[in-house]
Amino acid sequence: MISGLAGAFLLLGTLACDGGEVALTAKREHLEAFADMLVPADNPATLEGVALGRDLFFDPLLSADSTISCGTCHRPELAFSDGLPLSRGIGGRLGRRNTPGLANVGYLHQHLFWDGRAVGLEAQALHPIAEPHEMGGDWATVLGKLRRHPDYWPRFRSAFGLGSPDQLEASHVGKALAQFQRTLVSSDSKYDRVQRGEAVFSTAEALGEAIFFDFADDPEGPYAGLPTGECAHCHTPPHFTNQRFFNNGLDAAAHLEDFGDPGRGGITGSKAELGLFRAPGLRNVALTAPYMHDGRMATLEEVVAHYNGGGEYAENKSANVFPLGLDSVQATALVAFLQTLTDSSFVTQSIMLLR
Amino acid sequence: MKYALYLPLFILLFALGCDDDDVLSTQEVDFPISFRAEFGGTPLAIQSADYAYPTGADLKIQLFQYYVSDLELLPAGGGDPVQLSDIELIRWMSATEAATTTRTFQAPIGDYVGLRFGVGVSPDLNAQDPSNFAADFVLNENEFWGPSTRYVFAKIEANADLENDGTFDTPLTYHLGSDALYTTVTFNRTFTLDGTQDPDFTIVADVLKALADDTDSFDIANPDQQRIHGGNQAIATDLWNRLADQFSLETR
Ligand code: HEC
Ligand code: HEC
Repeated sequence: MISGLAGAFLLLGTLACDGGEVALTAKREHLEAFADMLVPADNPATLEGVALGRDLFFDPLLSADSTISCGTCHRPELAFSDGLPLSRGIGGRLGRRNTPGLANVGYLHQHLFWDGRAVGLEAQALHPIAEPHEMGGDWATVLGKLRRHPDYWPRFRSAFGLGSPDQLEASHVGKALAQFQRTLVSSDSKYDRVQRGEAVFSTAEALGEAIFFDFADDPEGPYAGLPTGECAHCHTPPHFTNQRFFNNGLDAAAHLEDFGDPGRGGITGSKAELGLFRAPGLRNVALTAPYMHDGRMATLEEVVAHYNGGGEYAENKSANVFPLGLDSVQATALVAFLQTLTDSSFVTQSIMLLR
Repeated sequence: MKYALYLPLFILLFALGCDDDDVLSTQEVDFPISFRAEFGGTPLAIQSADYAYPTGADLKIQLFQYYVSDLELLPAGGGDPVQLSDIELIRWMSATEAATTTRTFQAPIGDYVGLRFGVGVSPDLNAQDPSNFAADFVLNENEFWGPSTRYVFAKIEANADLENDGTFDTPLTYHLGSDALYTTVTFNRTFTLDGTQDPDFTIVADVLKALADDTDSFDIANPDQQRIHGGNQAIATDLWNRLADQFSLETR
């Protein structure tokens, strides 16, 4: 059913020998800290599949009027986010949510999207193309263009062993995009290098780490008495998300029906889950501003101030979100720690994907 | 060496074992075991139900979970215990989940005198990092809290309405477990597995019983007892013992 990605990385290593494709080989030597990525047995990564997925990702051909690509909203230089509070799609249409970064998205095997409505990258990739406010919602047009395309059609044929153009379906586009997105691996941030013993945190970063991971829980340890940030319950390493759904106190709601965006509850139909969102991964978070599902917070300072205040009341706010009592030095230190999750080589190599 | 790589090895050894003439003794049946969560004897509902706590407060439960290690059957007439599972994570975290969850194990037909398991992560597994396991293995469910603290064995999270004013604004988070607290629970029951009249077992855990009993309720109004994450060992141990002591086995 599912197998490790080791094979894919070996393949990508071979690809590198072709020259000019270095970016796709991103740091496969630094994956010891991660459990192997799960890959569906019916979509193992191949050289052609990954390269095809990369080209499709950045090609506006996938939108109804050939103006918007995945990469328009998922920009490599911003760790595959877009810098906007809410995304903007075809014809400048405003989306309803903030565009998340995609670093390590291949490791999120449980749920995708803020509300978890897709499981697996193969299925996820079908959504944006079908969304009227993202890429125009016209699969028939997109598939028509791909089937007739002098470059893409032969590449789909060889990547997926297709016989004739009419066998090219949306699922093949999804598979190629998924193969490419699984190569977006960030594992060389300062945080990672510190874990490997190759770097040391500054005093402020170390203080921030202690707050993030509740080091004060050890009554005999050096941080006894420090406030605990409680962050890692939900933003759990190594990908800084536990992939589960929470209300982290963004909006006051006397009644659960009061939430503007139903979040998880809109998917499960459970009133108790209204206003819950998936804890986002925080790798490269300093590059993915603005923050939260609706991009309401412009800076990490604002995010930390939010948690420090304990958030707004709703009966389903997580019990792990409450006033923290951080002073200004501690709040700044927590931001400094979050900045250690930036992986500049991931960004440099991602930009090279644009050729 | 990754843990998952041992699997094929075990299968190989098992296959080799079958070459022997003791084939007959290894005939197996499916043996489902259910796990039910309760609050004060009623099936647990995450987030959606209000529960009365003995000190007068009301609670909404957000999370109840525990690891079960070395789930074993004890054969009649002695002999080595039969392991059904090395580790399970039993967890209720969503209002959409039923209070009962059923896992099906493989067990050799035969006569048994009991069932036992460790509450928590057994010391040998607790010594291994999550990255050693498959990403969808239960020890990769993000319950690992760091190189020295290791896996969190059990969690109870709730919001309390201490003043009975309808606002559940006092968070309670209990995250427990360490090698020293690992506890084995044994139920003595005589039963036979042969695929025809196998018993239905339900392991019941009651959140209220983990916090309170008739004489002594854990004081959730005390700010020092609202957030226990290892730190205060005396309180953590008290809470752990209450949790580990309250399991019951329902047989049908
Ligand atoms: C118009 C901007 C836009 C375009 C174009 C776009 N996305 Fe997105 N993407 C978003 C937004 C916004 C979300 C979050 C939506 C939500 O959660 O409801 C998202 C979410 C995702 C996610 C889930 C990430 C996670 O952490 O759960 C993936 C993967 C993704 N997009 C890949 C793609 C691919 C592949 C394409 C091209 C086929 C694409 N996106 C096109 C804006 C865009
Ligand atoms: C109870 C779980 C939980 C805890 C504890 C928690 N978070 Fe979050 N975090 C979330 C959720 C859920 C979101 C998304 C909320 C939304 O947009 O509705 C989020 C969003 C964020 C974001 C925005 C990321 C982005 O890409 O938009 C940052 C940054 C962040 N949290 C940092 C922290 C820090 C720092 C702490 C500790 C002080 C912390 N979190 C504690 C669950 C949690």
